[in-house]
Amino acid sequence: MISRRTFLQSSALVSLVPTVPSFLAQTARAASPQQDSRVLVVIQLDGGNDGINTVVPFQDEGYAKYRKSLRLAPGDLIKINDRVGLHPALRATRRLLDSGRLAIVQGVGYPNPNRSHFESMAIWHTARLKPAKDNSGWLGHALDGAHAPADGSPDSALIGLGSPPQALRGERSLCAALAHLDDLVLSGAIDPRRAILPWPTAGDVKAFVSRSMLDAYTTAARLKDAASAKDAGVAYPATGLSDRLRLIARLLKAGFGTRVYYTVQAGYDTHYSQSPQHANLLDELGGALYAFLEDLKSAKLDERVLVLVFSEFGRRVAENGSLGTDHGTAGPVLLAGPRVKPGLVGETPSLLDLQEGDLKMGLDFRQVYATILDRWLGCSGAHVLGDHFELLPVL
Amino acid sequence: MTNEAWAPYVPSVQMPWDLRRVVHLHRRAGFAATWKELQRDLKDGPGPSIDRLLDGKSRTDGMPKDFAATADYLVSSAAGDLGRLKAWWVYRMLFGSDPLGERLTLMWHNHFATSAAKVGPMVRRQNQIFREFARAPFGELLTRVVRDPALLLWLDAQANRKGKPNENLARELMELFTLGIGQYGEKDVKEAARALTGWTVVKDRLQEDPAQHDGGDKTILGRTGSWKGDDLLRFLLDHPATAERLAVRLCEWLMGEGAVAAGGIKALAAWLRRRNLEIGGAVETILRSKAFFSDANLGTRILGPVEYVVGAARALELFDPSPNTLILAEFCGNLGMDLFHPPNVGGWPGGRSWISTRSTIGRYNFASALLDGDSVGLPGAVDALGFARRHGRGDSVESIVIFFAELLLGAVPGRAWVERQLAALGPKEAVEPSRARRIAALVLASPETQLA
Repeated sequence: MISRRTFLQSSALVSLVPTVPSFLAQTARAASPQQDSRVLVVIQLDGGNDGINTVVPFQDEGYAKYRKSLRLAPGDLIKINDRVGLHPALRATRRLLDSGRLAIVQGVGYPNPNRSHFESMAIWHTARLKPAKDNSGWLGHALDGAHAPADGSPDSALIGLGSPPQALRGERSLCAALAHLDDLVLSGAIDPRRAILPWPTAGDVKAFVSRSMLDAYTTAARLKDAASAKDAGVAYPATGLSDRLRLIARLLKAGFGTRVYYTVQAGYDTHYSQSPQHANLLDELGGALYAFLEDLKSAKLDERVLVLVFSEFGRRVAENGSLGTDHGTAGPVLLAGPRVKPGLVGETPSLLDLQEGDLKMGLDFRQVYATILDRWLGCSGAHVLGDHFELLPVL
Repeated sequence: MTNEAWAPYVPSVQMPWDLRRVVHLHRRAGFAATWKELQRDLKDGPGPSIDRLLDGKSRTDGMPKDFAATADYLVSSAAGDLGRLKAWWVYRMLFGSDPLGERLTLMWHNHFATSAAKVGPMVRRQNQIFREFARAPFGELLTRVVRDPALLLWLDAQANRKGKPNENLARELMELFTLGIGQYGEKDVKEAARALTGWTVVKDRLQEDPAQHDGGDKTILGRTGSWKGDDLLRFLLDHPATAERLAVRLCEWLMGEGAVAAGGIKALAAWLRRRNLEIGGAVETILRSKAFFSDANLGTRILGPVEYVVGAARALELFDPSPNTLILAEFCGNLGMDLFHPPNVGGWPGGRSWISTRSTIGRYNFASALLDGDSVGLPGAVDALGFARRHGRGDSVESIVIFFAELLLGAVPGRAWVERQLAALGPKEAVEPSRARRIAALVLASPETQLA
């Protein structure tokens, strides 16, 4: 397989014009050196993370009042200050806090909270309060306006099973999806790219399938190089999320120009018997996140990386009758990496001043997005979000 | 059906009953057909062809005499082994007499998306409910599914008790199984959860425990009374939004992207409401319609992984010996549809999301593996050349390309397409078995074949 750079330089490009994958055509227009460009890694906590038991306001009288069975003992918490502490399972996260690599944005939500997983997730993905199925995602939209990676890598990548999330969907930017490097190794004797007939009509489903498949084959060829690069990173815990973050680290080390990586940690919909599940999930999250940033640090890549951790909503303040919690509203968002301004951001939501049994929102999630877009990805948050949002002092 | 949207299809010069439409019918309503079945339907016309699909009599090739006994054996011997349960279902899709019924079973699995990751082999009985009531009035299906332990445990019904409501079941019942988002308020969810209190699972059965039921008044969707779970189901079934949601589901499953306008959905929903939400009748209306056979509806729906995998095996007549259905189910999972393991209660997002980097490579690799035979459990490579020759083709590379295009797509997608396949295959002109296999794999993995 010829490298993409060679491919671009070769005159073959001209004769292949009708089938040049969209992102190659795009880079032919707007290739730029971006060896040092910044990368965003998004970890989506799927199902609605119980923010109250993640960043715990242990001095709030409401905590003992509403969390009779699920209450975490103050003595076990990882104290951030005299009122707020982290869930004890976030042990590894403490080390990020201590080394100034973690910002915790509290009480993040949006007006008129929606308690449907799917609707609320779509709101977060599109950054629109009334999302439609075919809307671009906030990151896809941002990447549409950015230079495509000069090395021919996709603009964004979902790491894990399943399909790319709406957040990454754009009009022009390209998103890849893979769970393992060997997912993308082609078997068979023929290069299927050469058989693909381009559809002239842009936008219809036939054009979409041809374009996507062509892009997929080209991305696969690019990723094959990473599969052969050797990986000498630090040790990661043996968990699924760790494996996915390690793959992201590996792609970064292999010099991938992809700007946004996305991965999902599922299981946060804890309606029933929450405590053990939630502790396991946070342990997996904290351990993976710490190992990932350490790995990048030893590879001297961490300065380029910001991690965003969010969930579609928090959970109801009062626990339900089955040692669990139902769908709620606002929750904490985490930002991690050596370039964050560490510590707590925003007011800790009150557990006594509620709205229909739920937390009142303190900060709008689009403020977090605007801050990342403006201060990290270097694009206009106002343009992507369609409005101005006050930036947060986290970057 | 009064609305023009679902007027019946009558072949015409503009919309002839040609091989393209026969292939279209089978790939949408079933899992592709064999060459002989296609030719039979081409000759018989749309009426009898659609009748056969509706009646579960469309398949004549590769039908094992002992299908029922084998299927029974597979499901009973699978016990709690989920891999074998998946293989049993794939066996049913591949060899059963009712591909439309299996497609609908798959639709319901996606609609009432329940994962064995939480409830284990209970999904087997749920799956049998989907199949048995696939074409029934939706109320019968809903009642049985909602009262079956798999769904109850999946959504924590047993934890929903008087004074300690758990909203999980109530919310998803309204949002996903019946009304759809925006048709109810948060208060309705809370009150519906109260109506469902006391539903619990004892010895693998639903039991209504009066001690745990909240007998007080509840106001659900504007109606006040001391409602119980069955009252709630009644309200949801009566609500016009449920018919509309079902119409959307059916069109998503049987129609192409953008092929049905809002008026068509409304008309189908109105039909469903008049006919007690009878699914079989609505499916028949769609399949017999002009809209279904219109050009705008041809090749505009992206095949899901299961449709792709099972359809490939059917079209290539890999019946005896057949690929290992355990392995086929694994491929389906690898391509994004792990049977009995939907990603969450919302089911698989489907449509364009089926096509990703991973699944593109995966589909190509599946096509190669299927033709090579070994890694799908066939005793050797598939004799694609002999297969083409049995159907009167195969004297040149080009004729083999055209044969597989006709088999899988109903027509070649133009001369330029044929030229491209020939160019990709390289300059060697000789017709030999390995070359025929490559052609079959290439056409199977082509963008055109991902669409039906």
